[in-house]
Amino acid sequence: MATFDINGKKIDVNAEPTAPLLWVIREHLKLTGTKFGCGIGQCGTCTVHIDGESAFSCLTPVAAVEGKSITTIEGLSPDSSHPLQKAWIAEEVPQCGYCQSGQIMRAATLLAENKNPSRDEIVEHMNSNLCRCGTYSRIVKAVQRAAREV
Amino acid sequence: MTKLRQGPPHLDRREFIKSTAGITFAISATGFISACTEGEPVAESPPADPLAPNIWVTIYPDDRIQIMYAGTEMGQGSMTATPLILAEHLDADWDNVDVETVAVHDTAFGNFVFANMLYTAGSTNVFAYFKKMQIAGTQARKMLVAAAASQLGVAEEELTTELSNVVHAASGRKLSYGEIVSGGQFPAEIPEVDESEFKRPADYRYLGTDVMRIDVPSKVNGTAEYGIDVQVPGMLFAAIRRTPVEGERPVEVDDSETLKVAGVTNVVTLPNGVAVVGETVEATRTGKDKLKIIWSEESRFRKANTAEQLQEYGVAAEDLSISGTPWAETGDVIEALAGADEVVSATYTTEPVYHAQMEPLNATASVSEDGKSAEIWVGTQTQSLSILGAAQALETSPDKITLHPLTMGGGYGRRSPLRQQYIDDALFVSLAVKKPVKVIWSREDDIEAGKFRTAATQHMRGAFDAEGRLVAVHHRVAAPTILETMNPMRWEAANGKDVITMLGSENTTYDIPNHMAEHVLTDRGSRVLAWRGVGTSYNKFAMESFIDELAKSRGADPFEFRMQLCHKNPRMQNVLQNVADMAEWTRPREGRMLGLAVSGYHRSLSAGIVEISIDDGQLQVHKFWAVGDPGFVVSPSNSEAQVEGNIVMGLSAALKERITIENGRVKQSNFHDYPIIRMAELPEIETKVLSTEYPATGVGELGLAMVGPAIANAIATLTGVRIRHLPLTPDVVSAAIGSGTG
Repeated sequence: MATFDINGKKIDVNAEPTAPLLWVIREHLKLTGTKFGCGIGQCGTCTVHIDGESAFSCLTPVAAVEGKSITTIEGLSPDSSHPLQKAWIAEEVPQCGYCQSGQIMRAATLLAENKNPSRDEIVEHMNSNLCRCGTYSRIVKAVQRAAREV
Repeated sequence: MTKLRQGPPHLDRREFIKSTAGITFAISATGFISACTEGEPVAESPPADPLAPNIWVTIYPDDRIQIMYAGTEMGQGSMTATPLILAEHLDADWDNVDVETVAVHDTAFGNFVFANMLYTAGSTNVFAYFKKMQIAGTQARKMLVAAAASQLGVAEEELTTELSNVVHAASGRKLSYGEIVSGGQFPAEIPEVDESEFKRPADYRYLGTDVMRIDVPSKVNGTAEYGIDVQVPGMLFAAIRRTPVEGERPVEVDDSETLKVAGVTNVVTLPNGVAVVGETVEATRTGKDKLKIIWSEESRFRKANTAEQLQEYGVAAEDLSISGTPWAETGDVIEALAGADEVVSATYTTEPVYHAQMEPLNATASVSEDGKSAEIWVGTQTQSLSILGAAQALETSPDKITLHPLTMGGGYGRRSPLRQQYIDDALFVSLAVKKPVKVIWSREDDIEAGKFRTAATQHMRGAFDAEGRLVAVHHRVAAPTILETMNPMRWEAANGKDVITMLGSENTTYDIPNHMAEHVLTDRGSRVLAWRGVGTSYNKFAMESFIDELAKSRGADPFEFRMQLCHKNPRMQNVLQNVADMAEWTRPREGRMLGLAVSGYHRSLSAGIVEISIDDGQLQVHKFWAVGDPGFVVSPSNSEAQVEGNIVMGLSAALKERITIENGRVKQSNFHDYPIIRMAELPEIETKVLSTEYPATGVGELGLAMVGPAIANAIATLTGVRIRHLPLTPDVVSAAIGSGTG
């Protein structure tokens, strides 16, 4: 059993303490916007916020988030109105789209700390997240656009 | 605006038509509705009935329009581009259009390039369905105009259409398509349409402009539904321990520790693996780690090693006494080589690569008690083959399979074969446990059971005559058949011509009077499958490297040499000139060098230039310029994104990616030892996609194949060392430069 906040709601989950947070989010809580990609923290598709920091949910045992506050892509905004989500649409970033929840969640913690990141800062921050379709340059453009509009 | 309707429940199109009271349609073999009367005439049908003039479009009284999409979406964008063609010719208001993915195997919806299977591959969707969409949209518009004419009491010639309205300018009256449908009065027969009635390109409202892809909004908020996201009531999960070598089977399974794991419900032995079934994903994964399995040791693949394979393929490629199956032939290459003034030859090798689609493969199935029917949920590139393959697996008929095709977290060919292992897994496990089951492969499973771009070795011979003209190129591709493992029926029908292995080795670019590409058939050493760009990604590496070598052997500039060879191909010359202008081909760079290559894909053309340097033996790629010409461009922004994505994937494959088979096992296991390119490693990429007067062809695989040869050509120009091998990983590059040979 673990108790934590997810997207502003307190919940109790009946899961093994070692269960990866990723599977708890996806299959216990049915919040499937957070994706499974590699299971070893190499691709970033599973990125969520834990107490406001980007984290790989595939590497986080659910016991480690006891009492903490989690945000997933579903909780980033109620209606796709987060500046990053709007910028992602304006730049038409997604192709297959599978990595994009993780990309957006990752970018959100950059903008939370740094309102006006340079290109290099964006690249350094986003380098943890893979995209096989090759949308990287549009991701950079979308982060820059969102930064302008925040 | 809700355009994306994916996931259960899907309405079978025919059921839908049947359930619409008053109108019954028979779908003819040509794909169009051939009869529309049963019982009451259509004109007297109740006003609430929608209008469905053909299988592709339905117009509702409330102005909603539904368009059927006979492909599947994996990021390429044809779920928007193809229905948009219909909407354009219907003069529909795109904001009120819903797109529905066809979920059945019905040749009426089929892709003519693939024997009317529903098959999303080869970047064919826009090309294959363009005219069908024109006809279907024009036909619906024609019916609406005729009905509006009788409703308004005016001549059809006085009416125009725009944004889902029929307009009578003379009286200022207009009727929305929904109002017209409500009013009935349609002709008893569906009108024929001919090309002269198609909307003129000059009048296009949507085509050629940046209409946003309909799948984008759902991909920024987590609501897009991928196969892995499916939730079916009462379902269990399964993790599979696969045989580490293809062709082996579990001989002894000790599942005692596995069954002690809380949440594990069953262990199911499969023909080529063992499934751990349970109530949670984590239970199945923990249980899988505790399996003790003894595998058989009898497969021929136990001897497979990539390094030996490439050598064996090389021997076959270079041994001219072994004749191959001609794939493409012009003139008489053997005679031309025999009579040549000078012959140049070279051999190129390419190692296997992995699809690395970001969504690990998965499928959900619910098999009936008797095992003879099933419902499946899966991201697939082919409704038809998924249904036929599932029917084969259950030894039942295709009509007993209900498919829910979901959006894909990447495809690149990985989800295209007849028998899809992940679907088989879900079917067999569901059959065994008599419950719906979602099978999720781990990344390690996805690589271990991967089906790769094949290893290949190619031998090239080129001949110049006494005047220094290139008179012959002989291209021998030593590689296995890929078609056979994708779909044995297609291979049987192909007469030895393997489009997957051989595409790109034909010469449609240059004026070379004698050319032959032949397939020297070899045994495969791993599972193989179509990989983005199919054969072009190694065949163009050989051809475009070789063209550069031929140019250099004559002391010619590689750009001028190609322009000269394209003197009968102004379309290609235009692409070449564009990319040369963008990159400023003739401008010298301090310490840096440019390399050029071209790579068409089917009828789409592209050319690319790379700028590199080598510092302390380390290859640095600074910039890539890419120009594409896919004919008429339906979606400019998406087309540029596709070409850029191809360059990114091409850079990744050329610089970083390698699958190694050792004693039948795949050496790599996850992204730490199979790294794909990251954002920080990316050079600047400049892309231009030209919209030209040719028919619209594909962009989904355009440009990838030119990346490898462009880089190898730049290295050769900069260092004098020709590397005839992909990938150009640091070990390969430093070894070649160190030794002075490729």
